[in-house]
Amino acid sequence: MKTSHPITADRVLREAQTLRWKIGATFHDDLVESLYKEASRLADRAVTRPGDTPRFDLDRTVDRIVTSRVWGFPLMLLLFAGVFWITIAGANVPSRWLATLLLDTVLPLLKQFSASLGLPRWIDGLCLDGMYRATAWVVSVMLPPMAIFFPLFTLLEDFGYLPRVAFNLDRWFKRAGAHGKQSLTMMMGFGCNAAGVVATRIIDSPRERLIAMLTNNFALCNGRWPTQILIASIFIGATAPPLLAGLVSAAAVVGVALLGILASLATSWGLSRTVLRGEVSTFSLELPPYRPPRFWQTIYTSLIDRTLFVLWRAVVFAVPAGAVIWLVANLQVGGTSVAGHLIDWLNPLGVLIGLNGVILLAYVIAIPANEIVIPAVLVLTVLMTGTTGVGEGAGVLFELDSHQATLQLLKAGGWTLLTGVNLMLFSLLHNPCSTTLYTIYKESGSWRWTVVAALLPLAMGLVVTFFVAQVWRVVAP
Amino acid sequence: MMTFGPPSLLPAAAYSPALALGVGVVVALLSVVAFWPHTGLIARWTRFRRANARVLAEDALKHLCKCELEERVPTLASIAGALQISLNHTADVVEYLQSHRLIASREGEFELTAEGRNYGMNIIRAHRLWERHLADQTGLAEAEWHGAAERKEHRLTPEQADALSASLGHPTHDPHGDPIPTAEGEIAPAGGRSLAAMKPGQAVRITHIEDEPEAVYAQLVADGLHVGQVLRVSQVEPDRVSFWSEGEERRLAPVIAANVTVAPVESTLAEEHPGGRGLHTLAPGEAGVVQSLSPLCRGPERRRFLDLGILPGTRVQAEMRSPGGDPTAYRIRDSLIALRQEQARLILLSPESEAA
Repeated sequence: MKTSHPITADRVLREAQTLRWKIGATFHDDLVESLYKEASRLADRAVTRPGDTPRFDLDRTVDRIVTSRVWGFPLMLLLFAGVFWITIAGANVPSRWLATLLLDTVLPLLKQFSASLGLPRWIDGLCLDGMYRATAWVVSVMLPPMAIFFPLFTLLEDFGYLPRVAFNLDRWFKRAGAHGKQSLTMMMGFGCNAAGVVATRIIDSPRERLIAMLTNNFALCNGRWPTQILIASIFIGATAPPLLAGLVSAAAVVGVALLGILASLATSWGLSRTVLRGEVSTFSLELPPYRPPRFWQTIYTSLIDRTLFVLWRAVVFAVPAGAVIWLVANLQVGGTSVAGHLIDWLNPLGVLIGLNGVILLAYVIAIPANEIVIPAVLVLTVLMTGTTGVGEGAGVLFELDSHQATLQLLKAGGWTLLTGVNLMLFSLLHNPCSTTLYTIYKESGSWRWTVVAALLPLAMGLVVTFFVAQVWRVVAP
Repeated sequence: MMTFGPPSLLPAAAYSPALALGVGVVVALLSVVAFWPHTGLIARWTRFRRANARVLAEDALKHLCKCELEERVPTLASIAGALQISLNHTADVVEYLQSHRLIASREGEFELTAEGRNYGMNIIRAHRLWERHLADQTGLAEAEWHGAAERKEHRLTPEQADALSASLGHPTHDPHGDPIPTAEGEIAPAGGRSLAAMKPGQAVRITHIEDEPEAVYAQLVADGLHVGQVLRVSQVEPDRVSFWSEGEERRLAPVIAANVTVAPVESTLAEEHPGGRGLHTLAPGEAGVVQSLSPLCRGPERRRFLDLGILPGTRVQAEMRSPGGDPTAYRIRDSLIALRQEQARLILLSPESEAA
């Protein structure tokens, strides 16, 4: 066999080099497409489908109704209002029951036990008045609403309705550079922001998922509703005639929640056009067929996955918070409690933005859980004003039964209507709780985004309260 | 008992809310001026700092390489134009290049040395690879690719460019259709002809869209023209070129059409409307058969569509529209998938479609 051109490595490489330019720019796409095509050919050959005879299609009929221009939105509002109503109405009783059990029954027993052991006062105070009480507080405020809200939400999800909500609302979220499914994670955030952040897993487009994570905090969570409702009733409701007080304070709370939705969309818009511009974005939304919810299975998984998971993390963070609040109130440096020094130090900034040092310190202590902001504010106010006959001792969390008594205590602490308004705003716009931040870190896997998630809303809160305070003081005499 | 007085809850005496408000507004305005993307002071400052001697020299080498490939004769003025700097400044840059033996000048003409050509090709390679990466692996808008690559090309070492090329599957062309030089500096010869030189009735495929000058490129992008698109030229007049593509007739000024390079195709399918029409044109209830995915649909988006089973020959039926008007739900292979309008636009249907 004779050949004039022996095959050498050099020749092969040169040949490959010239051929390389001839295969075309879309070679890879064509190759991948042909693989998918072959797969679909095999599937079409092997899978037989029932005939296409048109029959009554329940899915299609339901879809026509829940996504219709006329019925779509009213149905949606009705369902969500129902879920929130059941949660709020249903959570009250078990919440009180848990508080009675943990604080009025178990705590005295523990106190007796520690007294019988003859433990030093500071161990007893730190462990029982500090850590135990804060944890019991968080559990009794947090557990019942979450144990009602999440299963209800999961049932709607299991039924297949929630993707239709995303479908209905996508247009508005798209304008903000977000995914329609963000409406669902936001809704989840009204229950708990940490759960809302976990829920962003349903968004498969990386950019929109990050946006949903970073803005979830603007959905007013379960831990902040009580603060809003209390402050609205004692400060804002009080400005209206008694007959309208309830209505006015309810409107104020709803207004703050709506402001949160607005802030969430505005931040999404800003993020998608600046720092997140380069992230990959692919929209697709599957609308799965409806199916009867698997009731018990749903209840079980939502309790395990969402409620207990979030509760566990909250407890882990509430224990040190309880210790901190007891310690700052009881440790003395130079004749003054640590809390006193901190409040003195934070006060100028607090007053400048229409709040005060007590509120800022309470927010620092309450980083682990928003539930303890109001109790912490009350404890610190008692400590600062030297009010007697209120509360149960330095650094011991408590709440007052009557709004009137709370108002009097806060007024003694120098609070005005402006303080109330700005506290409501700051409660909406501040760093997420540590549970949420930790969840954001776990979900995004990035310290950078976690820091952004913490500082962005905090900066927004400081700016907003600053301007509100200055304008208020300029306008009001 | 308390041994300290409560801190004053009234603002300090020197404080005046009006003054604080004024200071706050000024600080807010200043930070807007400083941090605004692209036009803010910080953005300008970083841009200014980047335009150092090395960057200018590399840009000049790139220009000389391009001139060589396109068989144009580079002049001092053409370098100044490409770098957007004054002639005096350009002379400094040329001197810098000569002192580093990257170019040689002969009888007033510049010529790349072997070393200079290699250097310039590496910059072009880095630029085009980075554009490919931006197109395939990020969500950055098309109009921003070129600018981003202009910055990145100076920071990518040849080793990093090789690693990038490998991670992209050794692409041969950038998203504008320009060939990417190999690590050895080899590059495919430029081919094709200008769209402005086509005759009515010809079916052509876009092989390249020139990304400079930026304004012209931005208009081409805004018009939705892209590499791989199939057109049928319908009219050529002195003041405009008209063509059919993806179900619409479009027009371009000849000076703009000159920046589009095309190659003829022998397309027998879809004689009248090459490229078919977009899925977004289906009204609820109508169905169509997918002809192809638009070349504009790249990277993760394309993979997602393929994952959903959107392939040539797949039957798709529009089911319902969101009460907001967008997105629309489509029945694809027995599942209901909602797509936004700008996505549905990327899925091209065969011209025949049916009402369900």
